[in-house]
Amino acid sequence: MADDLPTEFDVVILGTGLPESIIAAACTRIGQRVLHIDARNYYGGNWASFTFSGLQTWIENCKQELNTELAAACKGQALDNEEIIPFNKRNQTIQNIEVFCYSSTEDGEAVEEAGALNINSALLTTVTSSDGQENSSIDISKNHTSTEQNDSPEGRSDLEEATNSDQRSADSTLETGTIVEVEPSLTQAIQQDSPKTITYSQIVKEGRRFNVDLVSKFLYSRGLLIELLIKSNVSRYTEFKNVTRILTYHNGKIEQVPCSRADVFASKQLSMVEKRILMKFLMHYIDYELHPEDYQDYENSTFLEFLKSKQLTPTLQHFVLYSIAMVPENAKTIEGLKAMQHFLRCLGRYGNTPFLFPMYGLGEIPQCFCRMCAVFGGVYCLHHSLECLVVDGDSKLCKAVIDHRGKRVDCKYVIVEDSYLPEQICANVSYKQISRAVLITDCSILNTESNQEISVLTFPPADKGQTAVYITELCSSTMTCMKNTYLVHLTCSSTKPTAKEDLEPVVQQLFTLSTENDIEANDRTKPKVLWALYFNMRDSSGVPRQSYAGLPPNVYVCSGPDHCFGNDHAVQQAENLFHELYPSEEFCPPAPNPEDIIYDGECAQQEPSESSIPVDSKAEASAENETVVESYEDSEAQKAE
Amino acid sequence: MQSHQKEHLYKILVIGDLGVGKTSIIKRYVHQNFSPHYRATIGVDFALKVLSWDSDTVVRLQLWDIAGQERFGNMTRVYYREAVGAFIVFDVTRPATFEAVAKWKEDLDSKLTLANGVPVSAVLLANKCDQGKDNFKNHFTKMDQFCKEHGFVAWYETSAKENINIDEASRCLVSHIIASESDQMQPVEPDIVKPQILNSSKIASCSACFKS
Ligand SMILES: Nc1nc2c(ncn2[C@@H]2O[C@H](COP(=O)(O)OP(=O)(O)O)[C@@H](O)[C@H]2O)c(=O)[nH]1
Ligand SMILES: [Mg+2]
Repeated sequence: MADDLPTEFDVVILGTGLPESIIAAACTRIGQRVLHIDARNYYGGNWASFTFSGLQTWIENCKQELNTELAAACKGQALDNEEIIPFNKRNQTIQNIEVFCYSSTEDGEAVEEAGALNINSALLTTVTSSDGQENSSIDISKNHTSTEQNDSPEGRSDLEEATNSDQRSADSTLETGTIVEVEPSLTQAIQQDSPKTITYSQIVKEGRRFNVDLVSKFLYSRGLLIELLIKSNVSRYTEFKNVTRILTYHNGKIEQVPCSRADVFASKQLSMVEKRILMKFLMHYIDYELHPEDYQDYENSTFLEFLKSKQLTPTLQHFVLYSIAMVPENAKTIEGLKAMQHFLRCLGRYGNTPFLFPMYGLGEIPQCFCRMCAVFGGVYCLHHSLECLVVDGDSKLCKAVIDHRGKRVDCKYVIVEDSYLPEQICANVSYKQISRAVLITDCSILNTESNQEISVLTFPPADKGQTAVYITELCSSTMTCMKNTYLVHLTCSSTKPTAKEDLEPVVQQLFTLSTENDIEANDRTKPKVLWALYFNMRDSSGVPRQSYAGLPPNVYVCSGPDHCFGNDHAVQQAENLFHELYPSEEFCPPAPNPEDIIYDGECAQQEPSESSIPVDSKAEASAENETVVESYEDSEAQKAE
Repeated sequence: MQSHQKEHLYKILVIGDLGVGKTSIIKRYVHQNFSPHYRATIGVDFALKVLSWDSDTVVRLQLWDIAGQERFGNMTRVYYREAVGAFIVFDVTRPATFEAVAKWKEDLDSKLTLANGVPVSAVLLANKCDQGKDNFKNHFTKMDQFCKEHGFVAWYETSAKENINIDEASRCLVSHIIASESDQMQPVEPDIVKPQILNSSKIASCSACFKS
């Protein structure tokens, strides 16, 4: 399909995650010729979101390996005085995947997502754990290397089985119990549905209603990402929902954190005195810089110590630390004050909490930048791998890349997401890990009259040395899950060997994990988990460039997602890299707004001369610039207020 | 424009193989011009056409160009999101582009349905009919059959060059969209935030702020 790929570009970008996609859009906006490639057949890399069946395919693919041998075709493409640096073709960023299904299948027949390709019902097995509790589980640890890769148009046959990470996940699944293969009809026999209970078959059938993000982040309403979306006009592709409530877990109970003056005074958890103290504290420290005398004695102490010194009660300390500042217990005073200020300033821009969530999931956002890039001439090739970089023997600069079919593409710069870098370059890099869990549940962790709440909950660390767990609960109106279910994401930076070890204790405190038949024995006040996924994602966000050895200077590295709640790291990284490439160019100037281009019979314009830019973008660009700048300044002005 | 008029905004996709005339059709329809010289479409996301549908209805059509991404077949979800209709275009002088039509239609239906799960209305355009007219004439019944089989609401022979049938095709598509819209009362999501549109003045002072 890509036979007619041009042989020369200004910038080749490998990976379609958020930072790479922002850079791609930024480069085409200043007229650079961009080739944007991803080895996977979907957009977003580790920033992607999937339908339910898409997620099953992703899980399967994570265990498979691509042939790591350099395609022979490559070698002929390099000249005498050129060297080759091969790319890594194994994605090692996802590990310890474990899947559990607590809902039963409705009938013995294989169910399929409407319109989906393949769901392997053979993957359904039953796990009997040592305490005799029975739950059906999707056994991903066995090497059911799906033989038919129908989604691969190029029919690659070099997929290998059995990997190290496979082995590890196999072991950890075994720890939870012996795997017993059962006939689907057995599962059916033990099932006694109340009419409202969602079954696994229903989840599969309604699979397209799900958009499950691999990373769970929100946009701060005045964060860098939302400002960039507005400034660049990429926001024309986006729609958001407000997070409707901030929750906290305190004294074994889930409570709502008051997020506004009205909330504070309506709060039932706070005494009158606490209300006054909290209001006074927040209003005073929203402009903390104006009162250095009030905190400078605590600059070397933790934020928590500072809060104690201000006579905040334990409940208020907890609210401010975990749910407003959202910083760890060991955060220093200034860090906490800054985070608290950011939170408070983000309130009220669009709604009652500081956070926005993209409709259809965060995975939309990289694609919005890719669309903008394509509109300005960027060329897209997914499911297309690059074999190697070609490096000039004398200048040591990268001159070209070669793809898996031996096609050579010359370029000035290469931007590469770090998972594509070969071992030889990453030998000295040490990575952090992120622990993730994704749950599909049957009701909200805090029921109110509305069943369409979008909630954020910070779960405080259980022990010293552990980290807080960020939990988000999405309802179906975010277009990320089917009706009558909730999609719950848990995220923390890893402290234990696997994501499950990090997160399952929290899951157990907040949810019921059981199958249909023993539900009676369980606490009905907790939501029931219907399906659960755990995995670890590599966090390369803190890796400095110097730790990559032997990289040509015109090859730039983007990291994968970090563990933080917002997206500032990705945006900052994209902007910094863009300015290294093009120091004097504007980063993501506003794109002309097509809505303004209205031609009708009477005012039809003359065709401009052939060599000019299409009239649409040129004629309207200036007018549009103004409106955008205006709305941007509006918000700036409000911020300054 | 009178204030009692109803206004509809419809997002329409224009898809099909490279070079079949998608951009030319949009230009002809929206900008009333045609250029015989090929050049890549840069910077044009979609074009807006305003139709006075009837005495009390105004229809604003957003025609979304595919932005070159048809070359290697990797469309973003953003492109499909919330579209309510599509033109699928082929070039009557190149049979291979007709063979691709079924694939485009399948791709469309797999990525996009209306809120009630029904596929969006699609009209098939046999473009460049100024060139291929004669050898195409005999295929009329075949084409009707093809449309039935593949779920197109209609097909038209069009020419962006000679301005043939583009208005007609568009009217046909819009009438189907309006018809399918009244079939299903779409609940409008009330609290969706569109950052670009929302200007912050409306919440200059409110209970959501700790500062007044
Ligand atoms: N003769 C003729 N040429 C056309 C017609 N429509 C488009 N073309 C030409 O076909 C080429 C490709 O058109 P373009 O609109 O860029 O195709 P796209 O890739 O589908 O957007 C251009 O050279 C156009 O001038 C038509 O109706 N008749
Ligand atoms: Mg075009």
